[in-house]
Amino acid sequence: MSLTDYLTADRVVILSGRTKQEVLDELIALSCKCFPRLVREVLAEAITHRESLMSTGIGQGLAVPHARLDGVTEPMVVVGVAKDGVEGYESLDGGPIHVLLLIVAGKGQHEPYLRLLATALEVLKDPAVREAIINCPSAQEAYRTLTGV
Amino acid sequence: MDYLAEANLDMSHLPVLLVVGLAIFFGTIGAKIFQRLRIPQVVGYICIGLIVGRSGFQLINAAALKNLEPFNFFALGVIGFLIGGELHRDVFRKYGMQFFKILLAEGMGAFVVVAIGTGLVVWWAHGDVATAVAIGLLFGAISSATAPAATVDVLWEYKALGVLTTMVFAIVALDDGLALALYGVASSVAENVTGKGTGNVWLAMGKIAKELLGAVCLGVLAGFILNYLLRRLRQADKGLGLIIGWMALVIGCARAFDLDMIVASMALGATLTNLAPRRSHPAFSVVESFATPIYVLFFVSVGARLSVGSLPGWMWGLVVVYAIARTVGKMTGAYLGARWAHAAPTVRKYFGLCLFSQAGVSVGLAVLAASRFNGEIGGTMIDGVRSGGIRIGDIIIMTITTSTFVMQLLGPPCVKFAIRKAGEIGLNVTEADLIKERAVAAVVDKKSPSFNEGTPMAEILRVIAEIDATVYPVVDDERRLVGVITLNGLKQSFRAEGMSQWLVAFDLMEPVPDTITEHAPLAEAMDRMNEQSLEYLPVVDGEESLGLVGVIEARKVRRQLSQEILRRHRVAEETDSPALQAFTEQG
Repeated sequence: MSLTDYLTADRVVILSGRTKQEVLDELIALSCKCFPRLVREVLAEAITHRESLMSTGIGQGLAVPHARLDGVTEPMVVVGVAKDGVEGYESLDGGPIHVLLLIVAGKGQHEPYLRLLATALEVLKDPAVREAIINCPSAQEAYRTLTGV
Repeated sequence: MDYLAEANLDMSHLPVLLVVGLAIFFGTIGAKIFQRLRIPQVVGYICIGLIVGRSGFQLINAAALKNLEPFNFFALGVIGFLIGGELHRDVFRKYGMQFFKILLAEGMGAFVVVAIGTGLVVWWAHGDVATAVAIGLLFGAISSATAPAATVDVLWEYKALGVLTTMVFAIVALDDGLALALYGVASSVAENVTGKGTGNVWLAMGKIAKELLGAVCLGVLAGFILNYLLRRLRQADKGLGLIIGWMALVIGCARAFDLDMIVASMALGATLTNLAPRRSHPAFSVVESFATPIYVLFFVSVGARLSVGSLPGWMWGLVVVYAIARTVGKMTGAYLGARWAHAAPTVRKYFGLCLFSQAGVSVGLAVLAASRFNGEIGGTMIDGVRSGGIRIGDIIIMTITTSTFVMQLLGPPCVKFAIRKAGEIGLNVTEADLIKERAVAAVVDKKSPSFNEGTPMAEILRVIAEIDATVYPVVDDERRLVGVITLNGLKQSFRAEGMSQWLVAFDLMEPVPDTITEHAPLAEAMDRMNEQSLEYLPVVDGEESLGLVGVIEARKVRRQLSQEILRRHRVAEETDSPALQAFTEQG
């Protein structure tokens, strides 16, 4: 599995929001734009519920808000870049969050969902890649850095 | 209906299949009603027989009964075959002498007490000593037989296992042989006493010996051949046809050569089970699964055959004395025999209660006696000829028929009472029986760990490492079931290093494939797991509320049921121990 299987340039955004809620709202809006079958309220509620269990800020500047919904047949991913970091997004290492991957999968897609999470982390665990993404001037550039395309 | 009217249908010409259908259909319904009342199903069959038979609406009358005879012979053969299947070599080795002593004592007990009791009634009513002795002896001999079918049906219905059950299986089948022998002697003596016979005791005994020994030889030979045929049989699905066909041949041969067909089929079953205990097991299962409608038909016929007509007053007294004397004789004989044989306490106390049923052999001997003793008693003597009296044969037939009616209704509940008191009910069960009798609540594992959806993966791994389970329910803060974590699903999360630090149960869980409530039958749960190829089912307090109660895992349920079967078999093996005796007395 490769990130290019699921990611296209229009699914990457440079985030303008500053707080956790603002950036999550931006990513949810992008998801619903890219995947019109998603219902905004349903996705927002699922993401909020997951964040209420434990923050998805996993350290090293990364966050992976995610949800599994009924009726979704293929895993979906959108990426947001917060150049100045996100306020109030708790992270395992206590550092600021700069790169966010919002992942949505079907309720029965246990295996592809975890595989997609693992693949994204594999790419982003390289500090040089993370640094390059954060410093990208545009979403297009960030997409290229992320996928190597 | 028009067709029936045009055909001028009378009940004696009902097509055999219609009679068979009526008997099996209504017999089964009657049994279900009686089972609900906790009365053995066989009583239900017989009551339906009474309603549709000679004592009731006469839908099944003498002509119809005649048409059903082959089915009844076959039913007796099946019962004999299955009883034979219970007589393993080690059972004979362990209980052989006990069988012999108890059989002799209970048979002779009934013979002596009934002969004296009924003889006294006839003497009191008519003052004729010779006739009283003759009738007493005949009644005594007839009374020693016990109906194996109704008795054994109760043992099967309640899945009985233990020393009392073993005794009942063996002795109710064998005491027909004793009854035949006693009848041979009694009828010869009766003919001599009444001065009407050519009664040669040795000739009669020779005939009985031929009937019994011939039947044993036929059964043993047939058993060897059937064992050979089953060994050669490669297609298991052909087994039913072969076994049923072979049994019908053996029963037919026994009938053709005037041999005892129950003893012949019992010898067939005993030979087969002892030659190849394992290979023959499916053969007995096949016959058992096929036998139910045959039994229903047989017992409905038994009920239909009973005719409770108007009897003279003193004959009611004879019926009552016969029934009481037989009961006292059987119970006393069984008790003394069990003491003599040093049998288990449960056998001593309760065996007599299992011997009340009376049917085929007794009625058959009564018919035989009726055709042989056609003189009259009572009435008036005019020119040396008696007229206006009752034929001895009729006295015997009416008394036996009426008492059979009572015994057939009382016998099965007494057997149930005895095996319950002996603690042997429900010990001979299979996994399917246990599944059928239980609800999910009996097997649900309420202590199986569940995880809140926010539980971190590290904690989940720690718990899983310590617990033997393949599935873990995930619940929300209100303990509502929201998903399940399976070991297989968990493996996927090991793909990326470091994920265990931030994944929680919510991320690892899979959707719940199905749920069941704890009040649902276990059979339904097992069926659902089979149909969906599931190894587990979460148990909830309601299909809507989804409050988690626990989990059932198919492998754990099977293990639990196997342990229960083993436990019950161990209890059955210990039923002759003083410890269990004390336990059943307390219970």
